[in-house]
Amino acid sequence: MAVCIAVIAKENYPLYIRSIPAEQELKFHYTVHTSLDVVDEKVSAMGKALVDQRELYLGLLYPTEDYKVYGYVTNSKVKFVMVVDSSNTALRDNEIRSMFRKLHNSYTDVMCNPFYNPGDRIHSRAFDNMVTSMMVQVC
Amino acid sequence: MRDLHRGSRPDCATPGFRSVRPEARRVPPPVGTLGSRRGGDWLLGTSGSTMSVPDYMQCAEDHQTLLVVVQPVGIVSEENFFRIYKRISSVSQINVRDSQRVLYIRYRHHYPPENNEWGDFQTHRKVVGLITVTDCFSAKDWPQTFEKFHVQKEIYGSTLYDSRLFVFGLQGEIAEQPRTDVAFYPNYDECESVEKRIEDFIESLFIVLESKRLDRATDKSGDKIPLLCVPFEKKDFVGLDTDSRHYKKRCQGRMRKHVGDLCLQAGMLQDSLVHYHMSVELLRSVNDFLWLGAALEGLCSASVIYHYPGGTGGKAGARRPQGSSLPADTGNRHRPGALTTNGINADTSTEIGRAKNCLSPEDIIDKYKEAISYYSKYKNAGVIELEACVKAVRVLAIQKRSMEASEFLQNAVYINLRQLSEEEKIQRYSILSELYELIGFHRKSAFFKRVAAMQCVAPSIAEPGWRACYKLLLETLPGYSLSLDPKDFNKGTHRGWAAVQMRLLHELVYASRRMGNPALSVRHLSFLLQTMLDFLSDQEKKDVTQSLESYTSKCPGTMELLSLPDGLNLPPVPFTKLPIVRRVKLLNLPASLRPQKMKSLLGQNMSAKSPFIYSPIIAHNRGEERSKKIDFQWVQGDVCEVQLMVYNPMPFELRVENMGLLTSGVEFESLPAALSLPAESGLYPVTLVGVPRSTGQISINGYHTTVFGVFSDCLLDSLPGIKTNGSTVEVIPALPRLQISTSLPRSARTLQPSSGDEISTNVSVQLYNGETQQLDIKLENIGTEPLEKLEVTSKILTTKEKLYGDFLSWKLEETLAQFPLQPGKTATFTVNIKVKLDFSCQENLLQDFNDDGISVSGLPLSSPFRQVVKPRVDSKPVNPSESSKAGDFSHVKTLEAILNFKYSGGPGHIDGYYRNLSLGIHVEAEPSVFFTRVSTLPATSTRQCHLLLDVFNSTEHELTISAKNNEELILHAGECQRMAIQVDKFNFESFPESPAERTQFTNPKQLEEERQEARGLEINSKLDIHWNIPSLKRHGEASVEGILNQLVLEHLQLAPLQWDVLVDGQLCDCDVVADCRVGDPIPLEVRLTNWSKRNVGPFALTVIPYQDYQNGVHNYELQDAITFVGSNTFYIDSVRPTENSVCLGALLFLYTGDFYLNIKFHEDTTSKELPLSWFCLPSVHIRAQGPDLQA
Repeated sequence: MAVCIAVIAKENYPLYIRSIPAEQELKFHYTVHTSLDVVDEKVSAMGKALVDQRELYLGLLYPTEDYKVYGYVTNSKVKFVMVVDSSNTALRDNEIRSMFRKLHNSYTDVMCNPFYNPGDRIHSRAFDNMVTSMMVQVC
Repeated sequence: MRDLHRGSRPDCATPGFRSVRPEARRVPPPVGTLGSRRGGDWLLGTSGSTMSVPDYMQCAEDHQTLLVVVQPVGIVSEENFFRIYKRISSVSQINVRDSQRVLYIRYRHHYPPENNEWGDFQTHRKVVGLITVTDCFSAKDWPQTFEKFHVQKEIYGSTLYDSRLFVFGLQGEIAEQPRTDVAFYPNYDECESVEKRIEDFIESLFIVLESKRLDRATDKSGDKIPLLCVPFEKKDFVGLDTDSRHYKKRCQGRMRKHVGDLCLQAGMLQDSLVHYHMSVELLRSVNDFLWLGAALEGLCSASVIYHYPGGTGGKAGARRPQGSSLPADTGNRHRPGALTTNGINADTSTEIGRAKNCLSPEDIIDKYKEAISYYSKYKNAGVIELEACVKAVRVLAIQKRSMEASEFLQNAVYINLRQLSEEEKIQRYSILSELYELIGFHRKSAFFKRVAAMQCVAPSIAEPGWRACYKLLLETLPGYSLSLDPKDFNKGTHRGWAAVQMRLLHELVYASRRMGNPALSVRHLSFLLQTMLDFLSDQEKKDVTQSLESYTSKCPGTMELLSLPDGLNLPPVPFTKLPIVRRVKLLNLPASLRPQKMKSLLGQNMSAKSPFIYSPIIAHNRGEERSKKIDFQWVQGDVCEVQLMVYNPMPFELRVENMGLLTSGVEFESLPAALSLPAESGLYPVTLVGVPRSTGQISINGYHTTVFGVFSDCLLDSLPGIKTNGSTVEVIPALPRLQISTSLPRSARTLQPSSGDEISTNVSVQLYNGETQQLDIKLENIGTEPLEKLEVTSKILTTKEKLYGDFLSWKLEETLAQFPLQPGKTATFTVNIKVKLDFSCQENLLQDFNDDGISVSGLPLSSPFRQVVKPRVDSKPVNPSESSKAGDFSHVKTLEAILNFKYSGGPGHIDGYYRNLSLGIHVEAEPSVFFTRVSTLPATSTRQCHLLLDVFNSTEHELTISAKNNEELILHAGECQRMAIQVDKFNFESFPESPAERTQFTNPKQLEEERQEARGLEINSKLDIHWNIPSLKRHGEASVEGILNQLVLEHLQLAPLQWDVLVDGQLCDCDVVADCRVGDPIPLEVRLTNWSKRNVGPFALTVIPYQDYQNGVHNYELQDAITFVGSNTFYIDSVRPTENSVCLGALLFLYTGDFYLNIKFHEDTTSKELPLSWFCLPSVHIRAQGPDLQA
């Protein structure tokens, strides 16, 4: 169960960010923002690898006291960051991976919308619902 | 790295932000200043057994340094102390004589003694030298001072190799004594030998060090190796079997490690590596983890020193390359035969050994990891672990392995030391931030820096360091990719972590306010409002503006660059979004004030521009120019306007004050406006005005506003998405301004702008047809320049109506006599408005009258009969358009004209500009009287005739009508009467026709029309028919022009052949009776004058006398009564134009009586082509009388 899901543009500004305890939104902003350092680092390290062999899933970015931060980067350098409660030990790497895949699919759908301007904030109900489902239900 | 610790130290899983270690240690009194760069500098000595103060600035190279503490005793001013300290610390590395080894010195002015107690564990933690600095001005103070020095020495006594005392100010006897441990200097300025002294001191340290090293290194299998231990271990070893093999090994291993440290300090890198390796072997076997960790770390440090001679601490000058013999290259680990710090060593075996002993860069990290994992087993070694982490991070930063470095840092974050004081927390977060920065994690770095900043002002701190907080916050800006220059936000929509950035800006605002710098907080708040407007919620917008207003009430926001003491400049923040300006349009002057160029000059300009009439290149250029330049001009001294379309994005009313224009190029007096925009208004036009005070090109660069107390200069160039029609306009020299006021009432309705002229004033007047109205126009110069030139032209707007005579007429001369018109002066100008329209052209009306069978019999028409006409016309089923047009007698015709006043004066006139003021004149013409029918009756005289006019009064008033010399005729409303006027015939041929007219109307039809008009005018002036409405006291002319047809004209025309009959030398006409005597012959003369344009004749005339019995009977049998003397027939030869021919004869009357002479043409002589009316001769009436008997 994710507590925060963020989509970050290639230029490292947020396209979408949502967190469950809404009061702590700023905290998650900070968490996701700082995680970008790690994402950048991982991406630049990966840059040397062949493009087609690239693993989109970045794995655990860093753990904090209460949360684990996972990352995923698309081929177009759009980043997905997911913050998961670290007490939730049921979540395995594979499940995180599949959640990211779902997120990626949904994001692709958003991009396919001809009325969406790439680079704008995402205001899609379908995407919203999908994120909500990932935040509530245990995958 | 974290997983590494998971099992071994579960209590540390909670990170360092919360201090949860149960055995919280005693907190040393926090003294010191934030921001000092050397970690050790900021704590005064404390006592205790466990090291608790980490030195975050440590790096691997520090392992090879000797620690020297420099401290003041007694009262030494800080300034003086640091002057000396600086000079001392400049001696940081020494080439020891007779060897090529180098000693490195680390200086501290504060060092906690409990850290010193860990000196055996890692010798670089041991204070080996003490330098005290003191002031002493009199000899009697000297013993006391010296005593203090000794006390100071006691603190670090156990570890000191040597010490020095620098005494300043003391002179005389005591100072003369040469002492090794004390140096005397007269004052702080005269102490040239300080550096030399220090070098000597270091050399003495080296001697001790070297002796210790040799001492420890040689007694390998000596009697008994003492067990070295860290402070917290001491109690653990009480009662331990000291003879066990295990214990011995432990002692050996620890001693090896210690020797390794000493070797490293003494500059023997290679030896130290060997010792460390041996130590690792020994300690591993006895599971002495703490020391094993230390040995591994020593190994790492030595390897790092070998690999990275440039240093890892990143401190410039901390480690100078030792001479030119050492290559700068670092990374290459397989370098057989490489140079070492010991210089060239010919022994290849040691070379091989070194290559083996020295760790590879990868191994260094592995060993660091291992060492840290061992340290982490001991809670008391937290500082050691932390410092090891920091050192490893520095190494990794050099190796550019950021991910691993971040793991080490992450681990460091989790290390809990104890209850940290606030200053320590700040210190810790700052260092973490710096380290993250070092490995390129700018965001993380910014995060920690911000935490540090917040820590500076934590509520638990008695005196919050707002200044420090602010400074730290500023440093976080790049990490949040936030620049304080609003220009960076102009490009498109803002993209960034708005929530985070906003938070930071809020914090900056708050910190600067608490710092007591309202200007800064206003600037930051303005910036927040300007750049984050899209991300602020409505409530936030309200809050931000409210606080901004409260700040600006004390310190208004300016457009000046704010410079911070540390060199950062805060550029001004113009509120380009409060309000948002969408469009800027420079407005032309109102039509009446628009300057116009004199035509001739304009033509010259155009011809000078290009020889081509059209060229695509020029057109293209012009298009470009147009984008910036505007094709109208402004006038110096006249109010000019710029229209902005503004939009208020705020959810509340926005008050914009002091909004004005920013211009360049011309002296411009801006007249600021204040406006209030409703919440979330749509586009709202705002007109900014100003007065150019000089001439030239003026550029509208932007506008300035004051919103919420912040002054903003918004430049158009930097506004995104603004539409403008150009921003440069020419200002021409001043022109006078004319204001006109008229005697007639102003008209609300405007003229149809068919001509494109804009009319400033309209007057309207209602006139009856034929009426003349005088329009007095008052011309007032309301400008500042004299009015020198005035031209008046009129233009009648196209009307279908046929207009007779001059509609508008004026005499300009009288007005011009009052010129030049000085400012404020008035002149008057009179225009006559005359309406002469043809209302009679309503054909079917005429038709009606004709149908009524009114004959030209000369009977006056009865008025009741006339009155039935009107309803009849109305009821007539003619087609509707015609009936509506014609049937309405009261149909009002309108006439519209424009009076143009072109005027100029002052400097603008010199430059060839004028202004045009237009006065619209709207006249509603109502029909007064019109003539429904016209016909002629021949009068008694051939030179005259009777004109019969049916006059119809279409007004609702009784009016009188009078011709030139007739009596008045009274017409009731709607009445029609016939009036007869005797008129002289006209000689139209004599009218001069100007050749210009002839060429103008080349069309013969037009020519004919023109001629007819001229005739009509002539007739009109002859007739001079006037009407008068006594009840309204109005009068005017009635015109017959419209109804004169060809037939009537012909009747009215004087025949071109002028026949004059003279009896007895007397001209005879109709009414003249010639008297003669019976029996006397009377001469009769017939004269023909040819006024036509061709030859006429020849003609034959016969004179036939007759008597009229007045009963219709003419008696022509008068041969007995009258005798002709000579022939009674005259012959006239052909007469050429303008010539005349005279025939003479005589008559002899035999009886008295009234006789008439009828002069007849012989029909065969009359040329057929000439009209009959040309041969109209007057009849002659002669009265023959008997001879006067009395006479």
